[in-house]
Amino acid sequence: MGGIRMTLPLKLTPAETALLDALDGATGWRAATRAALENRGLPNKRDEAWKWTDLRRLTGNITEAGTIAITGTREPDAKLPIRHAPTDILPRLAGALGGEARIYTLSEGESLSLEVTASVGVGHAIYVVEVPTGVSAQVRERLSVADGGFANIAVLYRIGEGASLDRIVSIGDCPGILAVSSGVDLGEGASLRQTTLTFGGKLVRLETHLAHPGAKAEAVMDAVYLLAPNRHADLTTTATISGPEGNLSQLTKGAVASHGHGVFQGKIHVEREAQRTDARMTHRALMLGDRAEIDAKPELEIYADDVQCAHGNALGAIDETALFYMRQRGLPEAQARAILIRSFLAEPLDRIRDPQIRDSLLEDLVTGLEALS
Amino acid sequence: MPMLEISNLHASVDNGAKPILKGLDLSVPKGEVHAIMGPNGSGKSTLSYVLTGRDGYDVTEGKVSFEGEDIGDLEPEERAARGLYLSFQYPVEIPGVPTLTFIRESLNAQRKARGEEEVSAPDFMRLIREKAAILNVSMDMLKRPVNVGFSGGEKKRMEILQALVLEPRFLILDETDSGLDIDALKVVSEGVNALRSPDRAMLVITHYQRLLDYIAPDKVHVMSAGRIVASGGPELAKELEAEGYDKYVRAA
Ligand SMILES: Nc1ncnc2c1ncn2[C@@H]1O[C@H](COP(=O)(O)OP(=O)(O)O)[C@@H](O)[C@H]1O
Ligand SMILES: [Mg+2]
Repeated sequence: MGGIRMTLPLKLTPAETALLDALDGATGWRAATRAALENRGLPNKRDEAWKWTDLRRLTGNITEAGTIAITGTREPDAKLPIRHAPTDILPRLAGALGGEARIYTLSEGESLSLEVTASVGVGHAIYVVEVPTGVSAQVRERLSVADGGFANIAVLYRIGEGASLDRIVSIGDCPGILAVSSGVDLGEGASLRQTTLTFGGKLVRLETHLAHPGAKAEAVMDAVYLLAPNRHADLTTTATISGPEGNLSQLTKGAVASHGHGVFQGKIHVEREAQRTDARMTHRALMLGDRAEIDAKPELEIYADDVQCAHGNALGAIDETALFYMRQRGLPEAQARAILIRSFLAEPLDRIRDPQIRDSLLEDLVTGLEALS
Repeated sequence: MPMLEISNLHASVDNGAKPILKGLDLSVPKGEVHAIMGPNGSGKSTLSYVLTGRDGYDVTEGKVSFEGEDIGDLEPEERAARGLYLSFQYPVEIPGVPTLTFIRESLNAQRKARGEEEVSAPDFMRLIREKAAILNVSMDMLKRPVNVGFSGGEKKRMEILQALVLEPRFLILDETDSGLDIDALKVVSEGVNALRSPDRAMLVITHYQRLLDYIAPDKVHVMSAGRIVASGGPELAKELEAEGYDKYVRAA
C-alpha cells in the first residue's frame, strides 16, 4: 500500500457540533481549541488515554446549554479570565467556555467546602485553589450531575512550598456525565493528601495530574469506587516526579456489580533527577458479579536508578469461605456481603485525617452498599 | 425423636462429580454428645458443611432433619438461627471486621430471625466479658479483626467463645482439638462442657482420643469413606487410639 494515509473527516456528534457553535468566532488558543475539537472530536475509545471510557459516544446527543452551580462555605477571592491554555481538550474547553475562573486562596487552618451541582445539558466550569507557602488547609468538593447532563470541570491546585492540603472529593448520585480534570502543582516540602469517593455515574471520569518536585514533598492520592449496575467510573492519574527525595503513595480500591464498569489508570513518571524517590501505587478491586467489568493499567516509568517504586494490581471476587463463615454465624447473605465489601473498601477512607469527614464518607459508603443489595 | 436425624445421606462436591458422603446414617438425641472419629479424607468436614448448608456441597440422596424439620432447603443463616453451630476446623480470617462487632451482629441477626429483641450494646458487653473470661480471651483480642493474626489455639478459643455467646442448640465441633496444647485443650473443653445441657446436643469430630478425655461422649461413631461403619460407647474411642483405623478402613 502507498505511504499516504487518508483520514476521513470526522462525523461530528450533535454534542460536538453544539460545542463548535459555542466557539464560533473564537480567537487565539480558543480558536485552536475549536480546531482541535473539529479534527479529533471529544475523547473517545480511539484515544489511548480514553480507551475504556468513551465520552464521545455517551455525550452524543447532549446539545442544550446547562449550568453548573458552585456554592461554597465562602465566595472565591477573585474571578479571573483564563489567560493560559491548558493542554488537554477537556480542560481547554472548560477554560474556553466555563467563564472566568474562580480563585480561592486558602488561609491557615481553613476548611473550604465546595458543592458543585450540574443541571441537564452541557456545562463547563473552572476553579483554582491556591494554598500559599506554609499554609495547612482542607478542601472538600462534592459534585453531582443531573440525568441528561454533561459537566466538564477543570480544577487547578497550587500547593506552595511547605504547604499542606487535605483534599476530599466525593461524587454523589450522578445519573449524568461528569469529567473532572485536576492539575496539582506541588511545592517543595509540601504535602497533598487527596481522597476520592465515587459511586460512578452514567460516566464519571476523574483525572488528577500531579506535578511533584521531589524535594521532600509528599503526596497521597487514594480513591474508592463502588459501582452499581450501569454505573461507570474512571480514575485516571498521572504523577511526574522531577526532583530527588519525593514521596508518593496511591491506594485505589473498588467494587463493581454486574454491568458496572470501573477503570483505573495510574501512571508514575520518575525523571532522571528524581533519585531516592519512594513511590507506590496499588489498585485492588472486587468483581461482585460475573458481568462486572474492571480495567486497570498501572504504569511506572522510571529514569532514575536509585528509587523505591512498586505497583500492584489485583482483581478478585468476594471470599466465599468468609461469606459462608459469616452466614454460619447467622448473618443473612446480603448483610454478610455488605460487611465484606465495606471492610475491603474502607481502607483508603480510613486514611482520611479529619475524623468527621472520614465518618461521613464511611457512612456514604454504607448507604451506597445498602442501595446495591 | 432424636434432635438430629441423618438418614441415608449422599452428598457430592464439584457439581455432583465427586461423591463424598455415601449413605450416612446417624442420629443424635437431645442432651447427648456424640463423637465421630475417622481417618483423614473420610468426609468428616464434608458432613459438617452439608449439615450447615454450605454452597457447593450438594445432597443427592437422603435427608437431614433437625428437631423434626427437614432442613435440606434452608440457607446457612436459617440453620444458624434454628441453633446449628459449627466450630470450624479452619476458622476464617475476616480482615477489617472487628471480632466484637462481628459477634454482636451475628447474635442480633440470629435473634432477629427468631423474632427476638436485639441485645443492647451494654448488655452485649456484659455478656461477652463474662464468656471471654471463661476462655481466657482478652478484650484486646476481641477488638482485633476476626481471626486475623491469631494463633491456631486462639482461633479455636474464639470459636468456642462465639458458641458460648450464641448459645446454639446443636454444636458441631470439627477438630477443635487440633493445634491446641494441653492447657488450651483444657480451657476449650471447659468452655464446651459449660454448654452441655439436657436441651442441647453435640457432634464432636476428632482424630484423637485426647479430646474425648475432657469431653466425655455418650457415643462414638467411626466414619470411613463417607459412611458410619461402627458405633459404640466411649470404649470404642480407646480402642481406636490403641489399634488405629485399619480394621474399619478395610471394612469400608
Ligand atoms: N470442595 C471440595 N472440592 C473437592 N473435593 C473436596 C471438597 N471438599 C472435600 N473434598 C474431598 O472430599 C474428601 C473428604 O474430605 P473431608 O470432608 O475434608 O475429610 P475429613 O474432614 O474427614 O478429613 C477428601 O478427599 C477431600 O479432598
Ligand atoms: Mg476435616
